[in-house]
Amino acid sequence: MASLSTTTSTAAGDSLRSFAGLRRETRILRGVAAADAPGSQLRRRQLGVVRASRTSPRLNGRKLRVAVVGGGPAGGSAAEALAKGGVETMLIERKLDNCKPCGGAIPLCMVEEFGLPLDLIDRRVTKMKMISPSNVAVDIGRTLGPDEYIGMVRREVLDAYLRGRAAEAGASVINGLFLRLEQPEGPGGPYRIHYNEFSPAGGGAGERRTAEVDAVVGADGANSRVAKSIGAGEYEYAIAFQERVRIPETKMEYYKERAEMYVGDDVSPDFYGWVFPKCDHVAVGTGTVTHKADIKKFQAATRLRAKDKIEGGTIIRVEAHPIPEHPRPRRVLGRVALIGDAAGYVTKCSGEGIYFAAKSGRMCAEAIVEGSENGSRMIDEGDLRKYLEKFDKMYWPTYKVLDVLQKLFYRSNAAREAFVEMCADEYVQKMTFDSYLYKKVVPGNPLDDLKLAVNTIGSLVRANALRREMDKLTL
Amino acid sequence: MMALLASPHPPTIFCALSCKRYHLGPRIRSPPPSLLLLPARNLSLVLPRCADGSAAAADGNMEKKDEAVPPTRPLESEKNKQPHQQQQQQYHQHEIRDGSVVKAQALKFEDTRWVGGTWDMRQFRKNGSTDWDAVIHAEASRRTWLEDHPEASSIDEPVIFDTSIIPWWAWIKSFHLPEAEKLNGRAAMIGFFMAYFIDSLTGIGLVGQTGNFFCKTMLFATVVWVLLIRENRDIKNLKKLFEEMTLYDKQWLATWQDDAPGDSKN
Repeated sequence: MASLSTTTSTAAGDSLRSFAGLRRETRILRGVAAADAPGSQLRRRQLGVVRASRTSPRLNGRKLRVAVVGGGPAGGSAAEALAKGGVETMLIERKLDNCKPCGGAIPLCMVEEFGLPLDLIDRRVTKMKMISPSNVAVDIGRTLGPDEYIGMVRREVLDAYLRGRAAEAGASVINGLFLRLEQPEGPGGPYRIHYNEFSPAGGGAGERRTAEVDAVVGADGANSRVAKSIGAGEYEYAIAFQERVRIPETKMEYYKERAEMYVGDDVSPDFYGWVFPKCDHVAVGTGTVTHKADIKKFQAATRLRAKDKIEGGTIIRVEAHPIPEHPRPRRVLGRVALIGDAAGYVTKCSGEGIYFAAKSGRMCAEAIVEGSENGSRMIDEGDLRKYLEKFDKMYWPTYKVLDVLQKLFYRSNAAREAFVEMCADEYVQKMTFDSYLYKKVVPGNPLDDLKLAVNTIGSLVRANALRREMDKLTL
Repeated sequence: MMALLASPHPPTIFCALSCKRYHLGPRIRSPPPSLLLLPARNLSLVLPRCADGSAAAADGNMEKKDEAVPPTRPLESEKNKQPHQQQQQQYHQHEIRDGSVVKAQALKFEDTRWVGGTWDMRQFRKNGSTDWDAVIHAEASRRTWLEDHPEASSIDEPVIFDTSIIPWWAWIKSFHLPEAEKLNGRAAMIGFFMAYFIDSLTGIGLVGQTGNFFCKTMLFATVVWVLLIRENRDIKNLKKLFEEMTLYDKQWLATWQDDAPGDSKN
């Protein structure tokens, strides 16, 4: 191992270890999220932010080469940011017209941060209906401003757009299937990736090709091959099952700006069933982690619950896909980093992944661009870990809060009833939408928070008391 | 989920039991004529009718026999036992027609006091004031019914009942007080025997024990124990809860666990 890189990586490792150590202690002992963020920042500034690239070898006569495997929101935004930063980028996507099975909901901040054109958005959802196991229906969205909405997109449209932007920025988009990667022989050596390139005419298995790159970004989704190549480890995942149903125009009117969420043991033991409007049809689906074998039963139950509103519709497509439940044990190894679903950045409770995929792609790319000084130097693992640090620090509160919500409110039918009851509260609606649309966990007014806590406990107590009464009835 | 619901027991038993508790329990509505358009083979298993009007129901789509449906809990034990037993045998398949969502009818929750998506408080009056226990009971029975027979959520008749209209003291009277009585009783028994035991061991009488710091600490620990752990499974639950609280954190920090010097390969 070149002594230079070792010392820099250990130095980087030192500062990161202290940061991680800080987080590890406070997180596990106190179990409180983000309480230490300011403290650790201060610590790091005192130790000095180590710029690993300053002592990294300069690349002679060429730019840094990076392969982005997977052309979804993560891959597309990573490739664009890399190409803009002066890095030689290749984006490998196996199916350029892929309609990834997806809820398709993007928050407002994504439209702003990624400059998405508004015609990408098929529908703007401004009303959400939460329906409890006993069909108590609560409308949320009263607190939304006139230009606040949840954007519903078609994945094929969004992905193609982001890839197009990457190509415009200078990335070369290749229609190919990633097969495997070979670890570099020596320090600073290239990664050799093997892939099948498909001809534009289509058909056939494609030609075997190899390419040598300096770094690989794995953006190939929940069943990531890049993750397997680096031994990133497994994660628990949910199965999301969805049917696209074309319903009559009169019924479609109801879903013009409305999405529905059904909770209940019949619909899913640990997730929710949904009806999301798409361009000219609705997507009816559900998901589960623990009872994957019963997914069809849950889907039937979801259809039953929405029966009145989707009656007379025809199913035009049935699709399913795994959704990661938590990050993989290892997201970076050497000069290979995982982003998006491949890394496991899907929130609990709401199962949201598009925004975090795109954001993580951008952050990873920015870390590479910075670490390589716009493509002129070799990078190392420390640079990629900076992206992890940044992402974890920025979004950890969001993930943790959603995890707590899931554990609290998706536990049992009683908890779900309490959850829907709580959603009727205006303060809850405002907090929920603010944190969803802008991805910031904003602490509200402490007095209101206290009232909210009291109301939550009240709802849970009442729902559980009713549960006990229900059990008494059936004895 | 397929449910061919049997008719309730002969009206006499039903009315007798129900009159004791409340006016009328959940009733099953007779199916509208459109149901009869289903192919004959599905109707061959319709059950004998009863004075209330029977219900034959088929709903949704089902690809395989619904074995996983929880054993339907009878609403008022024996009066429903037989019909429910019959009900389980009547589950049968209803294939999905290609590309279409099948129209179907399902049972609906019916109760004379359930009006317009909420409980009509005027029907719960007893001696001039509202009988909150009956409201709680009615809501519990509605939820039990819906758990066994999930219903489509309807736009025209939305459910708007909110449990917070039931005053806090009604909840306390029904749920907290009996439990509190039980726990206090247990605490008193434990306390008496511990006091006796310690007196026999150390000779310190009751007055002396209440002054002793160690005894007071043990008393506090006992109170906390009795509050948190009421059944054996509570111990396991608490342990699981603690693990759950920290599992997600550990999963996120996993990628930081291996930053020992030898690991950063180049």
